[in-house]
Amino acid sequence: MAAWDLSVAVEDLGADAPPITVSVTSDLHIGGVILKLVEKSQVKRDWSDHALWWEQKQQWLLRTAWTLEKCGIQADAGLIFMPQHKPLRLGLPNGLNLRLRVCFSGPVFRTVLGICKMLNIRRPEELSLLRPVEEKKKKKDKDLSEELYDLTEVPLTSVSRPCLYNGMPAHFADSPKTEKVYKMLSVSQPAPPPEAIAKLYRPASVVDKAHIHSRWLDSSRSLMQQGVQENDRLWLRFKYYCFHDLEPKYDAVRLTQMYEQARWAVLLEDIDCTEEEMLLFGALQYHINKLSLSEPQTMTSSPAMDDLDSALQCLEVKLDGADSSPQDMLENLTAPELNDYLKIFRPKRLTLKGYKQYWFKFKDASISYYKSREESLGEPIQQINLKGCEAAPDVNIVGQKFCIKLLIPAPEGMNEVYLRCENEEQYSRWMAACRLASKGKSLADSSFQSEVQSIRSFLAMQQTNPNTHNTHTDDSTSINTHSLVSPRYSKKYKAKQLTPRILEAYQNVAQLSLTDALLRFLQIWQALPDFGISFVVVRFKGSRKDEVLGIAPNRLIRIDLGVGEVVKTWRYNNMRQWNVNWDIRQVAIEFDGNVNIAFSCVTADCKIVHEFIGGYIFMSTRSREQSNTLNEELFHKLTGGHEAL
Amino acid sequence: MYQSQSTTLPITNVIGYRSFLTHPLTCLQQMDDIDAMFSDLLGEMDLLTQSLGVETLPPEPPSSSSKEMNFSMGFADMNVESLNELEENDLDALMADLMADLNDTEEKLAVDLEGQKEAEAPPPDLPPAPHGLSFYPVPSLSTPTSPEKGPNTFSAPLADSPAPILSPPTLPQHAKPSMEEIEAQMKADKIKLALEKLKEAKVKKLVVKVVMHDGSSKTLMVDERQTVRDILDNLFEKTHCDCNVDWSLSETNPELQLERGFEDHENLVDPLSAWTRDSENKVIFQERPDKYEIFKNPQNFYLWKKDKKTIKDMKDRDKELLVEENFCGTSIIVPDLEGVLYLREDGKKSWKQRLFLLRASGIYYVPKGKSKTSRDLVCFVQFDNVNVYYGKEFKNKYKAPTDFCFVLKHPQIQKESQYIKYLCCDDAWTMNLWVTGIRIAKYGKSLYENYKTSMKKAAVTTAWTNRITTTTSIPSTPSPTPKAKASGQANGHAPQPPAEPMAKVGNAPPPPPPPPLLPTQILPPPPSDPVLPPPPPPLAVKRIPSATSVPRQLPSLPTLPTSFPPSLTYMANLPPPPPSLSQDDSSESPPDFLPPPPPALGFGPGAGSLPSPPPVSFLPPPPPDPGFPLPPPPPDPAFCPATNRGSLPAPPPRQSNIGAGAPPPPPPPPPASAGLQSTPSVRKTGPPPPKRTTPPLAAPSGGDFMSELAKAMAKKRGNQ
Repeated sequence: MAAWDLSVAVEDLGADAPPITVSVTSDLHIGGVILKLVEKSQVKRDWSDHALWWEQKQQWLLRTAWTLEKCGIQADAGLIFMPQHKPLRLGLPNGLNLRLRVCFSGPVFRTVLGICKMLNIRRPEELSLLRPVEEKKKKKDKDLSEELYDLTEVPLTSVSRPCLYNGMPAHFADSPKTEKVYKMLSVSQPAPPPEAIAKLYRPASVVDKAHIHSRWLDSSRSLMQQGVQENDRLWLRFKYYCFHDLEPKYDAVRLTQMYEQARWAVLLEDIDCTEEEMLLFGALQYHINKLSLSEPQTMTSSPAMDDLDSALQCLEVKLDGADSSPQDMLENLTAPELNDYLKIFRPKRLTLKGYKQYWFKFKDASISYYKSREESLGEPIQQINLKGCEAAPDVNIVGQKFCIKLLIPAPEGMNEVYLRCENEEQYSRWMAACRLASKGKSLADSSFQSEVQSIRSFLAMQQTNPNTHNTHTDDSTSINTHSLVSPRYSKKYKAKQLTPRILEAYQNVAQLSLTDALLRFLQIWQALPDFGISFVVVRFKGSRKDEVLGIAPNRLIRIDLGVGEVVKTWRYNNMRQWNVNWDIRQVAIEFDGNVNIAFSCVTADCKIVHEFIGGYIFMSTRSREQSNTLNEELFHKLTGGHEAL
Repeated sequence: MYQSQSTTLPITNVIGYRSFLTHPLTCLQQMDDIDAMFSDLLGEMDLLTQSLGVETLPPEPPSSSSKEMNFSMGFADMNVESLNELEENDLDALMADLMADLNDTEEKLAVDLEGQKEAEAPPPDLPPAPHGLSFYPVPSLSTPTSPEKGPNTFSAPLADSPAPILSPPTLPQHAKPSMEEIEAQMKADKIKLALEKLKEAKVKKLVVKVVMHDGSSKTLMVDERQTVRDILDNLFEKTHCDCNVDWSLSETNPELQLERGFEDHENLVDPLSAWTRDSENKVIFQERPDKYEIFKNPQNFYLWKKDKKTIKDMKDRDKELLVEENFCGTSIIVPDLEGVLYLREDGKKSWKQRLFLLRASGIYYVPKGKSKTSRDLVCFVQFDNVNVYYGKEFKNKYKAPTDFCFVLKHPQIQKESQYIKYLCCDDAWTMNLWVTGIRIAKYGKSLYENYKTSMKKAAVTTAWTNRITTTTSIPSTPSPTPKAKASGQANGHAPQPPAEPMAKVGNAPPPPPPPPLLPTQILPPPPSDPVLPPPPPPLAVKRIPSATSVPRQLPSLPTLPTSFPPSLTYMANLPPPPPSLSQDDSSESPPDFLPPPPPALGFGPGAGSLPSPPPVSFLPPPPPDPGFPLPPPPPDPAFCPATNRGSLPAPPPRQSNIGAGAPPPPPPPPPASAGLQSTPSVRKTGPPPPKRTTPPLAAPSGGDFMSELAKAMAKKRGNQ
């Protein structure tokens, strides 16, 4: 067989280096070509990751046993010999930018698996890569100085489950630098300043949101094939909104990134919510922020500790302690109390009586008051049980007004009572006590001190002039509440109005552990009516106008763009089959009961829609089978389209 | 000033501790303390008696550790008047409850002690010092400010019992552990015991009268740790109903014309504590199909927008998927309801239409001229502090557009108030949609957990009822007590003819002779009570049979944590149940609330396929009072061997019932005390639960205990 010359560019030699020409025959297999190439280059190094990329055809020549003839390669083929793994700049849901080596030759699905393995994110099938939103005109104020964390040196571990070392995967524990990166991955980031949020891109309409979804990469083709170059920027995001088997113990990174994605979806109004929900999200963010700063590595703390066990231990300690007498025990059992002179005011119709001062005693879950301290041993003037009450702040720091507004349920309705405290100190303690009591907890509850702390820090946030008092408040508490809500609410409310409302919402979540708070945030997010819907602008067959197709984890919805309302819902459960006509780029779906729909996609490629539908169906199969192995083949079968065939 | 004392001891925050405190461990070592214990117990009994009758208790000195007396808002005694109405059967039930508690503790202690004894030689220093007497104030009601509350709350006299005296037979020997292990174990045990005691001492208890669906009632003692589920289970045992998932406890508020089914995971004591003193509220035990409709037909709620046909033709598999989808994910999905409802305007009498939306975070409405987008919605109510209630006949009461109304209010609000939110729907279906939707939003996953538990319970019970072929055609039959308020039975259930029990007793081989005096003495003698009218003589006579049941059960009690396990073992004796027939019976019967229709009679003979229907009429009477949490009195021991066991309880009573038109009796429970006789045979069949070893020994002494107690009480009363 006649030998002919094949010239191959070797990327590692530099762009200017002339291609290396090797003499080959048509029956030489790809592996042979590579061997000759390496010999001729005379560079001694590890070439094992390298493969041939066929420029014109945009494909990899990965089957080394195939002959040139079989591949259809002739002398004019422009081949490039390059590594399959190249660095990529990866934007994570929390805004962190990583530089890491990813696979450019395998299907994107495989690439994502690799990335997730490295970052220690379980269930990688729920994530995918997408092209970032172009940032126009931002170049000016941001001269490429964004922080980039380089992980390209981290060796790619081949172990299937990375072993943990110091609570992190071993490959992160190598150097302090990577340890730091891991911490940033697994601990949520502090809130950005509100100005920064306002500057970020926010989708203004459903159509805008639909455009985001046109950016997803095709899971069945490689990065190279989709024109992604070395050091390009891509985003890693959760794409399929059904989060399987979330286990805080193993999912530190996954949970954190999920939370970050949810948080940004809320902050950037990617998902709509009501004011009350926004405030609760704000409160949770505040709480999570605070906890992640104070207890960085306690993701594994189990709040549901066996209370008997802990009680036992505690009691044991006490019993062991020297001569613990029954009296001691008794004292420990009696609940602590608060005693102070406070002023009380009960608004009643037609009375304008002001605040009156009494001696107040707070014990268990109730307040009793007496004429004076001396009389506190006798019968109280009144005793108020606070269980089930609502305690709201009525505070004006500038005016030095520290009131607690109590709405106390009684058979006849709710009684309104105001308690006025002298100063912040007193207010913090009494307010904390009222809060606990409203939940039926007594002062003896372990959360009392933290409650006091959080009220103090919220008070500090409200101070217009932080220099005058309490300059010692640490950074964790000096969060601008405006960075906890979306710009819409930032504009709507002044900090003075916003902070008390977030504080109000905060009291319902203040007791959560970090993990629970994260989970709670996700739960509220998932409970939003619009959760998990990816939009695509489509044109239904027989219709003349563009409409929006919403793809949710369990259903497809048709949204009329004019009215903005859901017109029709189809559930996957009723789906018989779906087909894509790749020639006319049309998706046709058949449902039970002879319901047929067909549409062409306007904003996104029909492959993206196809992949979404197939992907969700894949996700639903996975919940039932208990095995942890990922059925990659099935995924490709369901999402691959004609490439899979 | 605030004193920071962190204690991790599980202090339950009860508003007022009204439970009796007992000396927990001291008695264990000093057997001769039993006298002291007795007198304590007597004190309690006495208080109980007094509180039942006279409303004013002699105020006890507040005990030092008693948590204080705060009653201004919290605790109202809703049951005062109902307590006055208590009949002896109630008292019996209560006593049984109390005794059950007592015996449980006794048994527990005995077992614990046993374990320790085995580990080392009888330790003279057994009880740890801290739990000394000083710790536990003398049992007292400790409610000086509100003596009238006494009637509501009793403590269980968890008296430490003579268990040690009995020195139950040695339990299976453990492998000898090392010395340290033993010590560690002992310490842990002690601590655990102490903790349990501490907890127990602070538990709030209520006596609750539960109205059955037919208007009769049962009285239960409920402590604050019990969930509605526990109480339902308890009622299942007492009523022998079919235990299907629809059974629920509801509260009604006649003043506001509201009704609400309690959720199974709720504590009952909490909501009841919100009732006012003069409240006419009731707790009702009934079937509520709406309780778990969401899981039976989820499509009605999640796909309500779909056409009726799709909803109706939904396949079971799809229903399951729907439930899975909405309840098994990381987050519960609330059905997205929206629609125009009428809202009762504050203070005005008019009802105004608004477009409401349900979200997980609350109910919202669309303000005038705004869109339905989330950001424009105005929050109408959030669910943290409110419960949802059905409104009854609001058309009349509030001039509502329809009678399909629901209400959102704080559970503590009991009277008309501006803080109550009234909503009115166009039809029942919409109302159901909303109320259920709100429950999902409020309770979330617990609802589904409750359902699963109920299903399990129902499944077990069905299997179980099938086995014993209980043919209770009336699921929640009022306890057919012989002394039931004679003609007071509602719904046409003829009361059990009073003569019946007597006759049957006559027919049956003599039961183990109980000390007949005893129970009557335990019960507060009505004559001495000025408030209660003296009982009519016949009642007193009738009391005896029911009363006998008390002592008969008691001895064997320690063996039986519940009446359930023993019954099972007993059942194990039986030949396999006739499945098809009995299944038919039980599955068909539940809907029939009324006395079984004639066709049912056809079934009776049908049951003739079961062996030996003839002895029917000779069968023992239905247990006099199934109201006990304890196993009702056994059928006569002789009876068991005599009849073919397969036929045992079921067909006969049924037939007689039908004949008599009386409510079918609960299945004759296993011979509890007859265990003495019949245990041997039981033992043969199934491996006995380990605890079974204790009974024979504990039993007689328990009897001693009881009779001594009785004597002591009599003496005491005599002194007074």
